[in-house]
Amino acid sequence: MITSKDMDAVFHALAHETRRTILDLVRDKPGQSVGELARSFDVSRIAIMNHLTVLGDAGLLISEKDGRSRRLYLNAAPIQMIHDRWINDYTGHWAGKLTGLKYAAEAAARKKGEFE
Amino acid sequence: MSDVAEKGIYRVHINAPIETVWNELVKQDEVLPFFFGSVCKTRSGTLAVGEPMAMRTKNGKYTSVVGKVLEFSPPHRYVHTLKFTNMDDAPVTIEYDLKEVEGGVEFTLTTSGGAAESKTEKSMAQGGPMIVNTLKSVCETGKPGFGASMMLAMISLMAPFTPKICLSENWSFDKIEKL
Repeated sequence: MITSKDMDAVFHALAHETRRTILDLVRDKPGQSVGELARSFDVSRIAIMNHLTVLGDAGLLISEKDGRSRRLYLNAAPIQMIHDRWINDYTGHWAGKLTGLKYAAEAAARKKGEFE
Repeated sequence: MSDVAEKGIYRVHINAPIETVWNELVKQDEVLPFFFGSVCKTRSGTLAVGEPMAMRTKNGKYTSVVGKVLEFSPPHRYVHTLKFTNMDDAPVTIEYDLKEVEGGVEFTLTTSGGAAESKTEKSMAQGGPMIVNTLKSVCETGKPGFGASMMLAMISLMAPFTPKICLSENWSFDKIEKL
């Protein structure tokens, strides 16, 4: 089981827009270097390094040494454990239907320019 | 797309002795909840480098996954190729690394070599977190989590819809060895 302390670390790491964006970027391009990631942001490299430490401590990011640089990978397992705690196949099926409808309707509305 | 997908890494901390985790990982002839309820079968009954292996359903009728053992170093590292029998994709490489850390084991699953955007790559991206978390649950509590139990029940219900290509008779060890 995931301990309360571990789960606190995951939620703390996720409770920041920049850190969530970092996870998006690493998910979309696994194995990218810290330097490449930092270039996607306007903030200082030091600030990004601090965010990477928080994400690493929570187990959400894995960094591997590759020569002089570090390659970053998203570890989806802690997020799966949050999912496992509250979602089962039955509730997941219906909740998934609802979110699927939401995404489809919102995409259609955006296409028509009805909502921004 | 012919690009090779970047590797995927999945990691959990398991509160159990390294031998327990290893034994769960390499169990044969028993249902493996962390591997979608299948049973690992080999020709000789032992896992060793070069051995072909097949993940079969409990009754042996269907084979979901086949592969070959590339590395076998108890209780720290196990590497094998993996091919889903219902997909045309080439085999990918799966690495399991067990590292003793304070209070248990750091268990890492690494997938590599799949074609980017292939069905196999997508299946591994979905299955990876489920495999490491269910193995964690089995080692720590002796049973898979609720979500995994539900999924295993669903899989057995789906058996009548399994495609013919997955029938075990289509996947002899001799054929797997040549993949």
